[in-house]
Amino acid sequence: MNHAERLAVAFVATIAVVIVGATLVGFITADGAAPAPEIENEHFTDEELISDRTPGEADVTMSSNQPSRTILVDPGVEPTGAAPASPLALLGLGGPDVADRDIRPLANVLIENGHEVRVYTPSAGSARPGPAPGQGGEVTTQLGTELEEADAFVTFDSEYSAAEREDLESFVDGGGTVVSMTDPDEAFNQPGAAALDSTLGVTTEPGYVYNLAENDLNYQRVYAEPADGTDLTDGVDRAVFPTATPVGTNSGNAALRPIEGSQLSTTRASTDAPIVVQNGGVIKIGDADFLSPENAQRADNDVLIGNLADKLVSSGAAAPRSPAAPPTGGPSTGEPPTEAPVAGESPEATPADGAETAT
Amino acid sequence: MSSNRFDSPLTPRRQIAVVVVAAALIGAVFAPIVYANANEPSGTVAVVEIEGPVNTALADDVENELAEVRNNGSVEAVVLKMDTGGGAPVASERMYKAVQRTSQQMPVIAAVQEISASGGYYAMAPADDIYVLPTSIVGSIGLNAPAPQPRAPVYGPSGPDKAGGNTIEGWARQQTLANTFINAMMAERGDRFELSREEVAHADVYLGTEAVQNGYADEIGSINEAIHEAATRAGMSDYNIDTRETGPEGGLPFLVRTDRQVVAIHSNDPGYGDVKPMGLAYVHWESIPHIDTIERFSGDSLPVEEAGSARTDATNATGDTAAAKGGDSS
Repeated sequence: MNHAERLAVAFVATIAVVIVGATLVGFITADGAAPAPEIENEHFTDEELISDRTPGEADVTMSSNQPSRTILVDPGVEPTGAAPASPLALLGLGGPDVADRDIRPLANVLIENGHEVRVYTPSAGSARPGPAPGQGGEVTTQLGTELEEADAFVTFDSEYSAAEREDLESFVDGGGTVVSMTDPDEAFNQPGAAALDSTLGVTTEPGYVYNLAENDLNYQRVYAEPADGTDLTDGVDRAVFPTATPVGTNSGNAALRPIEGSQLSTTRASTDAPIVVQNGGVIKIGDADFLSPENAQRADNDVLIGNLADKLVSSGAAAPRSPAAPPTGGPSTGEPPTEAPVAGESPEATPADGAETAT
Repeated sequence: MSSNRFDSPLTPRRQIAVVVVAAALIGAVFAPIVYANANEPSGTVAVVEIEGPVNTALADDVENELAEVRNNGSVEAVVLKMDTGGGAPVASERMYKAVQRTSQQMPVIAAVQEISASGGYYAMAPADDIYVLPTSIVGSIGLNAPAPQPRAPVYGPSGPDKAGGNTIEGWARQQTLANTFINAMMAERGDRFELSREEVAHADVYLGTEAVQNGYADEIGSINEAIHEAATRAGMSDYNIDTRETGPEGGLPFLVRTDRQVVAIHSNDPGYGDVKPMGLAYVHWESIPHIDTIERFSGDSLPVEEAGSARTDATNATGDTAAAKGGDSS
């Protein structure tokens, strides 16, 4: 090995020693990344954090043994061929009307018990939304015609012409049962609902009821309890109203009130204003979603829907009927017709007259 | 001895004087550098910006910056510069976790600029203190989501919840999501809130002046005061400030609300693919403009002489959502 080779070997050996040494030192001194400190977030692992997602079950039944009645349902559809007035007109369900499935829990129990359910779908040129003035209180509207054959009327709509409201008034005075349902957003930015309320002798409060302390999966899905034990609330411990607005009546009874701790959106103060009221043959419900299939499964909504069905068939008001003959059965006969307020109506259109001319 | 002496006309004493003067001059040249090095601040306060809609891109950056901060030996305190109205839940949670981990390691102070609400509040809640300006907006602790709607049956998916679902189960999921947020805020700041959990769940927002009273914030102060306080807590009397920008470059989506939900628009001139609905969001509703209020302007719609007509055109163009969704109007 000559001198040059010795130098080369020494060079390579030196480099090897340095690199291997550095590698060994690196391995020996390596302690890895410092372990991340443990952070306990018990609020993320709390079992009570998870809301119960069980949909529940519904068993809607009727106890009434009344003979077959005819129930007319107005889901608020626009006249055939007309464009929807507003995409948020009713329920906020993305359409202008109540979908068929939304009234099925109520409709089905009526059908199962031998009653007839009709759906009011105004044809083009009928009274909605423009008025169809009658003469001397004669029945001139399509609604009036269909009401003549009905014993009860369930409506999700609030926009009726003056002539239609007269027909409704006559219907109530003749012993017919009317269930009017409304949602907090229905008349939020449009006029009209006050006229129907006035015809029926009920009120609707602006704003919605909420309860942050105790609710059904959302602060707006409030619980309500029976107010004073009417037959409408038999067997009902609690009902869920998904979008409740307070309602009232001039002379009737509160049927259901929100539970303690509920508040009103407009005042942010506690409220016990009723969500369901009954004024003779008129039932006003400050919610239109509580009877949908999913909501029927919550709390005792199924019992309430069954009671409502019983109420709808409690009286037979279908024509032919005489103005002299009192309406048959049901608490709806308890209210003298003349007590129903008729704001802005002329004396010729008093309920008594209306009932007479309706025959 | 004489052999060591330079053969110079200067006396030895003068030679020493020259050497001393020369050394002094050279020393004077280097002294500032040495002084500066000796006097340099020992530590750094990292200012991490959390601005704009909370989304995945922002969370990516904030996570990375805070991870770097934790591993950077020179950074001894962090200030979060907050200016966001919130956004996506998971992105908010990712930032929350990153801030939480960082605050275990060093002082972290949040300095709210205009707004830090909803998902923004979520992200900064683990900070040691929250600084606000008198009219900053904080709060909005809650979930924004449309009501679950029943869906028409679809045929084909392998299971009933694969495409569609049950509305009650949807409500339960949303409530769990909201409770997750609220519970986390109660865990982080429940001892400072003057409000009950139920009141917090109202999801209201508060101005800075009110927030320091009800515990949503801790101090009225600017970001500079927050930086100084963070440095002081880290024991630094002198410090560097290192500002870390976050979020995608120029790609922040616009959050816009429709009547039913929040959508993220990823382009100034969006096509349909650039508009993405956000089903669930931690956002402060009021800080999100409604789509009807957005006017679309193009270069030739803003001539000075025809400002009036251009304005009308632009307003008309936004009459429907198609304008903001890349429609061909204006």
